Amino acid sequence: MRRQRHARLQEQLAAHDLDGLVLLGTSAVAFATGAATPAEDSSRAALFRSVAVVVRGADAPILLTPYPEGAPPELPDGHVLGPVLPDLDDGAAGLAAFLRDRFDGGARLGLDEVPHPLHRALDDFDLVAASGVMGPAKLSKSPDELVCIRAAQRINEAAMVDVVPLLRPGVRQTDLTARFLRRIFELGADSNGIDPIWQVMPPTKAAGPWTTHGDLAFPTPSTTRLLRDGDVVWVDTGIHVEGYASDFGRTWIVGTDPRPSPRQRTQFQRWREVVEAVLEATKPGASALDLCRAAIDANGGTRPWIEHFYLAHGVGTDSAEMPLVGTDLGEAFDEQMVLAPGMVLVLEPVIWDDGAAGYRSEEIYAVTDDGWVQLSDHPYDPFEGR
Amino acid sequence: MTVTVDAAGVDLAALRAHRRHRLLAAMADHDLDVLVLGRPAEVAFATGARQLWTAGTRPFGPAGVVMAATGRTHLLSVSDEGVPAEVAHEDLYGLSWNPANLAASLAAIPGVGDARRIGTTSSSPGFPRLIKAIAPGAEVVDGAPALWAARSTKTADEVACIAAATAVAEAGLTAMVDALRPGVTERDLLAAYLERLASLGAPTPPTEGVACATAVSGPVALRRLATADPVAEGQLVVLDAGGFAMGYEGGVGRTWVAGAAPASGATRELAERCRAVLDAVVAASRPGATGAELCRAWTATGEPLPAGPIAHGVGLGVEPPLIGEGVGAAAVLSEGTVLLVSGWVAAEGVGGFFQRDLVLVGDGEPQILSRYGRGPAGGET
Repeated sequence: MRRQRHARLQEQLAAHDLDGLVLLGTSAVAFATGAATPAEDSSRAALFRSVAVVVRGADAPILLTPYPEGAPPELPDGHVLGPVLPDLDDGAAGLAAFLRDRFDGGARLGLDEVPHPLHRALDDFDLVAASGVMGPAKLSKSPDELVCIRAAQRINEAAMVDVVPLLRPGVRQTDLTARFLRRIFELGADSNGIDPIWQVMPPTKAAGPWTTHGDLAFPTPSTTRLLRDGDVVWVDTGIHVEGYASDFGRTWIVGTDPRPSPRQRTQFQRWREVVEAVLEATKPGASALDLCRAAIDANGGTRPWIEHFYLAHGVGTDSAEMPLVGTDLGEAFDEQMVLAPGMVLVLEPVIWDDGAAGYRSEEIYAVTDDGWVQLSDHPYDPFEGR
Repeated sequence: MTVTVDAAGVDLAALRAHRRHRLLAAMADHDLDVLVLGRPAEVAFATGARQLWTAGTRPFGPAGVVMAATGRTHLLSVSDEGVPAEVAHEDLYGLSWNPANLAASLAAIPGVGDARRIGTTSSSPGFPRLIKAIAPGAEVVDGAPALWAARSTKTADEVACIAAATAVAEAGLTAMVDALRPGVTERDLLAAYLERLASLGAPTPPTEGVACATAVSGPVALRRLATADPVAEGQLVVLDAGGFAMGYEGGVGRTWVAGAAPASGATRELAERCRAVLDAVVAASRPGATGAELCRAWTATGEPLPAGPIAHGVGLGVEPPLIGEGVGAAAVLSEGTVLLVSGWVAAEGVGGFFQRDLVLVGDGEPQILSRYGRGPAGGET
């Protein structure tokens, strides 16, 4: 799997006529090298970065890391080196000297971030965005990559089986987090990816937080807020296995014996109809715009997703990556985003029913040669099975 | 937003106002009309807003914009949830996937179009072009020095927040100490630590790299990735806990022996060597001391410098200076700097010994803010 990813990066380097990549972002380094790093707060992750260097034509990537224990075993001698600190002047000078040994002056390099010290140290190189290479290399997943996403999702889902029994009046959002984080590591997660979200949705948009666009505020961070009987809770979590992210989304109801009202069941039914309509349209050759239209039609002409998000997004070493479906990139973008085998879609329609909150869940699908296959598998309690 | 950990008696509104004042003063000193912020900690420093925590670091993007002329901070935030009241609704701009929409949001900030000098705390290959589009006459410069100038010296209230965060870390350390026994795995220790933090209302850790059972034979390394291997009786296990409170980070690290057997003489000797380097570096942490002097304090004990930094700043997360082999030699400590100082020594056939304490650099003796016993192996009986 890592060899295949390296080959895809090499293909894209050639296609874009770049001499190499210098990657600083956590998920980009994970993709390019397969290196594991501990999940860290962004401040720490930036100052104690792992850096990936991909040289065009080379057999393997180079990893500069504070965490050599996370380096894949197949990296050859001289390809796992100590850390550089490109956000600081002395570190940036060291990285620049390293790069000068491997690239000619004036080389064209793709970077995802350029801290100012690094920019000063590389002023004679031609620095361009790495996204032109990374985007196409990441877009379609190999079968092995799909296995990793599914493995992460399985652990995430299994952990939720042990969180649900806590969902009774008087539990705190952070109590749910405590149980969840313990369980994912007992079950084999490599790391947690996001502060788990257990957001209580207000019955009306007006009763919720003010927003820039008048649509829903979501997601908002968890606190010690006490959950109360009947609260509608939108759950959103993600963990990592072998660098790949899960994405778990469900709507839950707090109670000693939670039972959705008829109106809430109708929301859920509508959500299922939207998902079914989108899946009907999901196959190679369909565009993201086709999926958006199918979703809107199934929802009676109203867009069933939040203004600042999407109907669907990809997942890989990033928790949200291409293909993005239904964003403010616009209809022209959606129209040219054509589905191909191996693309992953996290469908997350939102059915909002002002006055009675709404329903949101997420399911993960991979596009196959003639349709799709589902990677997520978790019940819709308490909305079905009673 | 609900404050999830006790605010330690700190007037958070006054703290935010003071930080904003320091940031604007630093912008004036560095002749910046605009400062574009990227990371969550930078936004937290400028506004007190808590962003959703995600692991790792993402490429730079404009998460906040500070305007010298108006003194206002503009935030990328779809909602006002968790945004302090002094940041008005008109100062919020929404999430855009489309760079053209993002540029329009930034261009709408009053005064941006006329700016002469715009600092950015980091950058990307495309970002200068975006700035050129919204502020054609502006020179884009490194804004990080202004931000670090404002952040590096901590007030008494900030030290109180760091101490509260250290109490969270100490609780996480206790959870690991309680879970440590032969047969437990590093993953189990991490699980116990994270569960304890979240149960306190502090659901995100500074790092998941908190537990390392050190090798009893062969080369000894301080690893940060938890394994599923069972810890053996008598093994030395590094437990390095961190915590957050009000956005500030604290930490404390210790080494414990797995099992009930008394520490061996070799283990006690290792613990004493670790204590000696830590004491030496802490004692050297005074205003005016350089990074090179801290490293010399370490090596004067006869121990070699380890691979990673021996000290780094903390505040709203990890901050400069980073001091160690090949880094931070010229950094100068000032009064009000808070440092996480660590000691690490290893002996083949015995294991590794790590201790970390949080130190406030003051006008008198360095003040140790972390409080934790050193355990049976570390000299306690």
